[in-house]
Amino acid sequence: MLLQTQRNTCHDRVNLPHPHSPFPFANQFNSIHPQIKLQKLVADMNHNVNGPSKSKRLSKKPQYSRFTQQELPAWKPILTPGWVIASFLAIAFLFIPIGLVSLFASERVVEIVYRYDQDCIPETYRGNVTAYIQNSVTNKTCIENITVPKKMDPPIFVYYQLDNFYQNHRRYVKSRSDKQLRSAAYEFTTKDCEPEARVNTTWGGEPIVPCGLIAWSLFNDTYNLIKQDKVLDINKKGIAWKSDTKVKFGSNVYPKNFQTSNLIGGGKLNESIPLSEQEDLIVWMRTAALPTFRKLYGKINVSLEAHDTITVVLQNNYNTYSFGGQKKLVLSTTSWIGGKNDFLGIAYLTVGGICLFMALNFILLYVFKPRPLGDPSYLSWNRKAVN
Amino acid sequence: MSNLHPQQRPDTFQNSSSQRSISSNSWRASVDFGSKGVRHGSRSGNDSEGFSMSRREINDDDARLVYVNDPLKTNEMFEFAGNSIRTGKYSVITFLPRNLFEQFHRVAYMYFLIIAVLNQLPQLAVFGRGASILPLASVLFVTAVKDAYEDWRRHKSDKIENNRMASVLVNDRFELKKWKDIQVGEVVKISADETIPCDIVLLSTSDPTGVAYVQTINLDGESNLKTRYAKQETLSRIPEKDIISGLIKCEKPNRNIYGFQANMEIDGKRVSLGPSNIILRGCVIKNTDWAVGVAVYAGRETKAMLNNSGAPSKRSRLETHMNQEIMLLSFFLVTLCVVVSACAGVWLRRHQDELDLMPFYRRKDYSEGKVENYNYYGLGMEIFFSFLMSVIVFQIMIPISLYISMELVRVGQAYFMIRDDRMFDASSNTRFQCRALNINEDLGQIKYVFSDKTGTLTENKMEFQFASIAGVDYSGEKTEVYVEQGGYNIQVDGQVWRPKVKVQVDPKLLQLSKTLNDTKSSKEIYDFFLALAACNTIVPIVVNSSNPNEKLIDYQGESPDEQALVYAAAAYGFMLIERTSGHIVIDIQGERQRFNVLGMHEFDSDRKRMSVILGYPDSTVKVFVKGADTSMFKIIDESLNLDVVRATEAHLHSYSSVGLRTLVVGMRALSVSEFDTWQTSYEIASTALMGRAGLLRKVAINLENNLTLLGASAIEDRLQKGVPEAIESLRKANMKVWVLTGDKQETAISIGYSSRLLTSKMSQIVINNNSKMSCKKSLEDALITCKKLIDVTSATDDDASSVALIIDGTSLVYILDTELEEQLFELASKCAVVLCCRVAPLQKAGIVALIKNRTDDMTLAIGDGANDVSMIQMADVGVGISGQEGRQAVMASDFAMGQFRFLVPLLLVHGHWNYQRMAYMILYNFYRNALFVLVLFWYVLYTGFTLTTAITEWSSVLYSIIYTAVPTIVIGILDKDLSRKSLMAYPQLYGSGQRKESYNLKLFWVTMVDTLWQSVVAFFIPVLAYWKSDIDSSSLGDLWTLAVVFMVNIHLAMDVIRWTWLSHASIWGSIIATCICVIIIDAIPVLPGYWAIFILGSSGLFWICLFGILVASMIPRFVVKMFMQHCKPCDIQIAREAEKFRNSMEVTRSGEIEMHR
Repeated sequence: MLLQTQRNTCHDRVNLPHPHSPFPFANQFNSIHPQIKLQKLVADMNHNVNGPSKSKRLSKKPQYSRFTQQELPAWKPILTPGWVIASFLAIAFLFIPIGLVSLFASERVVEIVYRYDQDCIPETYRGNVTAYIQNSVTNKTCIENITVPKKMDPPIFVYYQLDNFYQNHRRYVKSRSDKQLRSAAYEFTTKDCEPEARVNTTWGGEPIVPCGLIAWSLFNDTYNLIKQDKVLDINKKGIAWKSDTKVKFGSNVYPKNFQTSNLIGGGKLNESIPLSEQEDLIVWMRTAALPTFRKLYGKINVSLEAHDTITVVLQNNYNTYSFGGQKKLVLSTTSWIGGKNDFLGIAYLTVGGICLFMALNFILLYVFKPRPLGDPSYLSWNRKAVN
Repeated sequence: MSNLHPQQRPDTFQNSSSQRSISSNSWRASVDFGSKGVRHGSRSGNDSEGFSMSRREINDDDARLVYVNDPLKTNEMFEFAGNSIRTGKYSVITFLPRNLFEQFHRVAYMYFLIIAVLNQLPQLAVFGRGASILPLASVLFVTAVKDAYEDWRRHKSDKIENNRMASVLVNDRFELKKWKDIQVGEVVKISADETIPCDIVLLSTSDPTGVAYVQTINLDGESNLKTRYAKQETLSRIPEKDIISGLIKCEKPNRNIYGFQANMEIDGKRVSLGPSNIILRGCVIKNTDWAVGVAVYAGRETKAMLNNSGAPSKRSRLETHMNQEIMLLSFFLVTLCVVVSACAGVWLRRHQDELDLMPFYRRKDYSEGKVENYNYYGLGMEIFFSFLMSVIVFQIMIPISLYISMELVRVGQAYFMIRDDRMFDASSNTRFQCRALNINEDLGQIKYVFSDKTGTLTENKMEFQFASIAGVDYSGEKTEVYVEQGGYNIQVDGQVWRPKVKVQVDPKLLQLSKTLNDTKSSKEIYDFFLALAACNTIVPIVVNSSNPNEKLIDYQGESPDEQALVYAAAAYGFMLIERTSGHIVIDIQGERQRFNVLGMHEFDSDRKRMSVILGYPDSTVKVFVKGADTSMFKIIDESLNLDVVRATEAHLHSYSSVGLRTLVVGMRALSVSEFDTWQTSYEIASTALMGRAGLLRKVAINLENNLTLLGASAIEDRLQKGVPEAIESLRKANMKVWVLTGDKQETAISIGYSSRLLTSKMSQIVINNNSKMSCKKSLEDALITCKKLIDVTSATDDDASSVALIIDGTSLVYILDTELEEQLFELASKCAVVLCCRVAPLQKAGIVALIKNRTDDMTLAIGDGANDVSMIQMADVGVGISGQEGRQAVMASDFAMGQFRFLVPLLLVHGHWNYQRMAYMILYNFYRNALFVLVLFWYVLYTGFTLTTAITEWSSVLYSIIYTAVPTIVIGILDKDLSRKSLMAYPQLYGSGQRKESYNLKLFWVTMVDTLWQSVVAFFIPVLAYWKSDIDSSSLGDLWTLAVVFMVNIHLAMDVIRWTWLSHASIWGSIIATCICVIIIDAIPVLPGYWAIFILGSSGLFWICLFGILVASMIPRFVVKMFMQHCKPCDIQIAREAEKFRNSMEVTRSGEIEMHR
């Protein structure tokens, strides 16, 4: 025991850092920084004067540790045929059920999509759509009937869907001021909001709240649904994320100078309601990822029966005509995978199927062309010898 | 009376002091032998450059005038540096600008900088200011901190160095002065064991003959003492009393530590000064009470300081290939950018009329009174801007971080190589050294090993074995009896003095040497041993031993051969006990005799011999000559005793055929007139200012003739431990081992046999010619024989079919640099073994170049001496053996180690690992960055080509800093494809590196195709799954971020072979770190993506998407990998399986299979 201790202390001494090389591999840096070599030489000179005999007595033998000898305990998995087949089968048996469940869930979603942007143009304006939509005087009301194909259970989500609308356009995405939205104190933080930053021309004019192109282009079509002469109540509360209404949009920030400049982009805001309660705006401000997107308009909390006819009374205010965008009204139930989308189910089934196929392939491969694991006769130099 | 001569060993026979100085002169410059057309060989006086240097008169313009003891006059113009040194690069004020300036010399940082600057332009601001600068700033900061720390250390050591004290003559008294205040021209006094503060010319020493012994270990690593001399004219003066005032005219400061040329005008006389009169800064005075000298070079102008430049920077093969692939990646990058900008142009063109009214575009700004374009610069500029913006967005396609990761990985790999206790040499207490950090991975691809012999394959610890005296061979049985008695010793003042090294002796010869009488043979033995004891430059130093009554005589000298000879002479009763520049004292069988050393002709490579002129006590004068047999037999008077000459020649042949190094000794008595003639010419020559070396050589040649042959000695240079096994391993690993030696052919061949390089089954082709025509003929013949042999025996793959080529330096003179090179290459590449003997240092480099310039194979040169420097620098990888012969080879090398056999773990284990790791890391980094860029690219196609990124800018920046940086480095340092045991047991596994299996263009393309697939999966699964949904871009961006990070980490995890806790920690830790970072970013309310990850995470669709992406993206890779593993398993795969599933018994069985083949 004593011997052991002594040896340890000896080791400690051995590994005392060299006074001038705190890095154990100090000379590694030489090639990167050649000037250090000079320093090293100087250091060595010093060192030799200080105690040449002392340094000689100390052994430079690296202290043994599993780490430095690269012998840390390690798990070395090797995928044997069994494991390969098992993993393919496991994936297959996991993916096929998930795919089926997803497909089933997607099938159960009932979705009504009604494109109205063309239908809602009066015949007289068909030739000059932009004039119609840009004219503030023309009657934009449009009434259409849609039929419910299947029973829809509440909550039924009412979306509007825009096609070919690049809410992810770089210029558009950047044109907002999150600070201004959050707090009245940052009213003047409108740097990124050009060209919808200030009103009244000259720089230093009154700020627009909420500023920027996103808010400016707020969607402003409205929908009223009537079922059998009874107005269906569309609940527009709670359509935005709670985190947005609570934190991101300030309850002390009120719209100001909004849509007052020469060019009106979209919806207007009630200046007496704080931004945190303007849920349409909040939803709109969560810019969509893709050029075809839906945004939540409201929820209907009654069920719709199959073959019900619903009358949609909508105000067709929003101008997508000038750039060839489409507008659609969507009523949809929901499931655990979201809306109606068969893709994931199909994808999972495909992947699962492929895995099953691969598993079979590999079984055949291992049966008909077996190779003993680690057989040295397969080593290239042994193979050469055999040939 | 210059006495410093280079190592006298066969290996350096072609390597005179002058040439050695050339090589030392140029050891830093990257030597490109091929293009400069330097001649290989000694045909037309390869020393001419060296001689012309010494012959050159010092021009006044090139001279530095030093007035002894008058520093003010010396440095009137303030042009000479003071003695303070400054190795620190920065001061507090200059640190920031200088450090930044230096850092931006790297291309990678410039790329970062240009991207960051581009991003600052308002039209191009893709990332926020902070995000764009962060990567550059973090890299700069880390490097700056490292530099600052190192500089601080340098400043600290400068300060210590500058404030050391030395005694300097001020106003005729020696006063202590700080080193930094010493000036050129001042007279400095140094006591024993003190370090020299600057380069000084010796004036006088405590020794009456003006000798000072210095240790130059700090300068060149040679631990033996060297002698330096004060000039006759000054050595008797005592500076305090007898003021020396003289003028030294010396060369301008230069870095040649083996050369110095000057003359001194003193008392109206002009004396010349040479390298033996100067002591350089950093040397230590030993065995001399004091020495006084005048400072001639100080501070940064000292030779020690001038010699401190970095190791030559090499670039690894892998990195060179990598740069080609990076060019491809740049091409991809430009393609992506062109696609994006072209599409953007088309989009803008098609929507030209709608731009004003698009709610998401708004070309016109109506907020001002005047309606003008808002951020629209015309179609052309918009296209141009989108091109630049796409460069910024896709910048990480060029994996700049890879360069930094590679550096870190190499540091880590070097750490493990240095720390490997299997490469620690206990006998010399040296660790492995990694001097060049850039070429670790080259160690895994070596195809050719060029090895020096002496000191590399052999120990360079010379042992006197046999002697042939006057035609009688004394190579009988050795006896231990005498050794046990303690060997020969003498009594001095009641103390026993004995040689430090005991030598085994031949009893018969010992008996004969003891009985000195007047018989002819006794006289011959007397002369022989006297020659051995006297004809050398060995300095005996008496050291205390553990026994108070006993002192040991340590023979210090520069040549191990000479040491061995002097120890042998001592063992036979001819003990050298004192040497000054004027006389030597030899104890001959108990009787002290003093001989005057009247002159000495140093060893040089032309003569290949040295001679000493001894004045006997009875005033007869004899010249003793010792040298290589080829040079000695020419000057021996054969008519005297032809039988003896023939017998000696036969003995020499038998000695060298058992691998011994031989020297021949001869002698001649000089008549008075002969001596006088010699003395006159010697004096003229030695004081000549022009071409002194050449004149001296002429004088020597005139003197050294008509010698009586005394005999020959045979010295054994033993093989180092483990050399045969190491060579066998290297050859099994399909490396070609070539031995290049200065030794004789017989010696080389015998070493070849003992080191198992040659086997008896091999057929040998010997090329030994004296003219170009005959060389050509023998090369042609050899090629034909070689082809025949290979054709005949190709059926049986065995040693029998292998051919060994033995070629000597003289033939190489006619082959290298001529059209015959091509034939030699063709022949050599067919041979399994090539032995080149009698080669000069530059020829060694020429042979390396022969292979290097013609093949794509990696070359490694290993050597220990100054004569290997050129070869070490020429080869792709240079390895220095830090052995007996100083540090020049080490200084020029990329890696240095203590023993030849460490080459096996270095190449087979570390080289293999380094190569595999680095190769994988490079491909992985390409994949990792390209995947991210491609995901960004696909999204750009859905944003009207406007380079929006759904992934937040912070995630983009952190991607290569935090999300994925650590695992690749950790795996790059730690992963091991095979264990050390298997790699050592199957050297053939090394072949994967030679065949470039882990990194090649095919793998690059495969990786890129895989990357494309993975990026498509990662991008399109979410897009299709969330098509026509109300997903916002932040949420989708978070999904992509997580998907990509998970993918690259799982991809890596699939390829990790050994899972240590560090691999687990880094891979899973990165994933966790990424999640944490994404959560933190999404918890910042002023970012648009606030809370997105939480909303996203609560939906099932997200998890299904993520899981689906991970599985679908990895399936092709997994399938291909498994299929290849089963059907076309590589050697590494099989060995790995064997490691895991077969026990050790079966490993041996497979070893047998291998032997059966």
